Amino acid sequence: MSAASMTNRPGMFASMWSVMRKELRDISRDRRTLALALLLGPLLYPVLMIGMGSLAESRARTQLDRTLEVPTVGMERAPNLVAFLGTQGIRAVKAPEDVDAAIVRQEFDVALRIAPGYANDWRAGKPALVEIVADTTRRDSEIPSARVRAALEGYSGQVGSLRLLARGIDPAVVRAVSVGSRDLATEEAKRGLMLAAIMPYLLILMSFIGGAYLIMDATAGERERQSLEPLLATPASRGAIVSGKIAAACAMGLLSLLLTLVAFKISAQMSTGVGRMLDVSFASIGRILLILLPMVFIGTTLLTCLAAAAKSLKEAQSHMTWLMLLPMIPTIALIVNPVKTQAWQFMVPFLAQNQMLLKVIRGEAIDLRTWGIYLGTGFVVAALLWFMAVRRYHQERLAISG
Amino acid sequence: MIVAQDLHKSFKTPTGVVRAVEGVRFTARDGEITGLLGPNGAGKTTTLRMLYTLMKPDAGQVLVDGVDASRDPAAVRGALGVLPDARGVYKRLTARENIAYFGELHGMSKQAIDQRTQVLADALQMHDILDRRTEGFSQGQRTKTAIARALVHDPRNVILDEPTNGLDVMTTRAMRGFLQHLRAEGRCVIFSSHIMQEVAALCDRIVIVAKGQVVAAGTADELREQTGEANLEDAFVKAIGSEEGLHA
Repeated sequence: MSAASMTNRPGMFASMWSVMRKELRDISRDRRTLALALLLGPLLYPVLMIGMGSLAESRARTQLDRTLEVPTVGMERAPNLVAFLGTQGIRAVKAPEDVDAAIVRQEFDVALRIAPGYANDWRAGKPALVEIVADTTRRDSEIPSARVRAALEGYSGQVGSLRLLARGIDPAVVRAVSVGSRDLATEEAKRGLMLAAIMPYLLILMSFIGGAYLIMDATAGERERQSLEPLLATPASRGAIVSGKIAAACAMGLLSLLLTLVAFKISAQMSTGVGRMLDVSFASIGRILLILLPMVFIGTTLLTCLAAAAKSLKEAQSHMTWLMLLPMIPTIALIVNPVKTQAWQFMVPFLAQNQMLLKVIRGEAIDLRTWGIYLGTGFVVAALLWFMAVRRYHQERLAISG
Repeated sequence: MIVAQDLHKSFKTPTGVVRAVEGVRFTARDGEITGLLGPNGAGKTTTLRMLYTLMKPDAGQVLVDGVDASRDPAAVRGALGVLPDARGVYKRLTARENIAYFGELHGMSKQAIDQRTQVLADALQMHDILDRRTEGFSQGQRTKTAIARALVHDPRNVILDEPTNGLDVMTTRAMRGFLQHLRAEGRCVIFSSHIMQEVAALCDRIVIVAKGQVVAAGTADELREQTGEANLEDAFVKAIGSEEGLHA
């Protein structure tokens, strides 16, 4: 017998490395799952981005450039106004019987109603009433309404000035205050506006659950398939085993994230519109990756805790529903209650990632202190969850399957 | 050598406390096969789980080659080859990869793993399945893989929980031959079974467990003498007090 000569007590890291390699080899043999886990993000993301970008752009372009047809009640009462609108690319057409109902039925985006007393008021030099009829809750009516309003104000201002001049008064005297506005948003910030809403959520979600399949299969699945008990009968420590599994899932999550970001970069450079304006330099891609790194660890360790406590793979998978909603909370909270950027925000998981990603997307500089707070708390949270996962693996009932 | 000293273990369940093991003691010597015989639910699996450190005894002590299992569980696991009740193999890995994975976790070098795999494949007659993925293996092929995996590090002590469970007649015969082969190599072999004939045919020493306690122990002759029955199977039944849960 040569038992003593053949085996040495394996070190913590050697065991961890063995477990990690085995788990990665195991999942690499499951082609379909691997493809889904690795390619879904990289494929979905560009499609979403290019699709959304070009949709929004084509909508804006057509609504801005196209001649706008506006059903107008009482067209015959204001032929000059109608002629003016025509020069602004707005063509007044005959309105249907019930304009309000037609707007509600979404037959038109916007309509005009010229009051019956328009001609009399006009001649008397009183303000003549023109109503804009639109449903402000419909986003589609935003641009047409704004165009009509701007044209009407232009007409009103022009005619008003002419009247003053006819009476020998300088039109400037009625403008007591001259209001101008300077928009301080940087060009980069403006460009990122639309993507800012959805991109952080998708990226955070991707990193949060990128290793989900592997870790659930390697913990709850291993237990269900009855191979955990023999594994725990080897000299490898439970900490090394669970850490190896977490490491494998993190590697998967990072790879999937990396592929997504590469796809993101390529599609941003290829797309024509909004995508083109994004900052996709290698430096900012690197920053995004660094921001998401703690999220990969947090997601994987949290899933390990949950899956190790689950009785079956099915039970573990049922956690996915609420986990997918978790990264959405800060996004929703910020829409409902926009708050100023403060230091504590970089310590709350999900909110912190969201804020950091926004900074990168908006092209803002991130100072060292913020990086320190962010990465520090991120890794501390991940370390706590990792510790809990290891504790879970020390529980006696974990090993007993079925 | 494996020594179990007065092991106790109980579990909390929603319906109350289940005393699975209440004072099991025995010694399994090197170069002998020690059989744990008892009906299903007698506490055999729980006892074995305490031997290979999966569970901590509430009271009592386990010594493997003189090492206290509660003091240095990793060393004890390194000195044991274990085929647990749960013997799932990794479906997407080949039999050889399954074996090598456990070899690595025992801290073996690649050459040592290759060499031992060769030896075990000879002994278990599994050369034809060695490089196939275990998905779709028969019960017998899976058990062979699990046993090779358990013994890859050439352990002095071998613990097998119902090794012939679910095997067909031919594979069962081969398995019994393999256990005798392990004994001939001078190893300490413990296996559990609820099949009287198997225990009678194989074991040097028999430990009869019922309701979490050892009700009789010794060689076949000693058991016959203790119970006053000439037939070993009658002796088993008498010791346990009932035929329930046993198999001829």
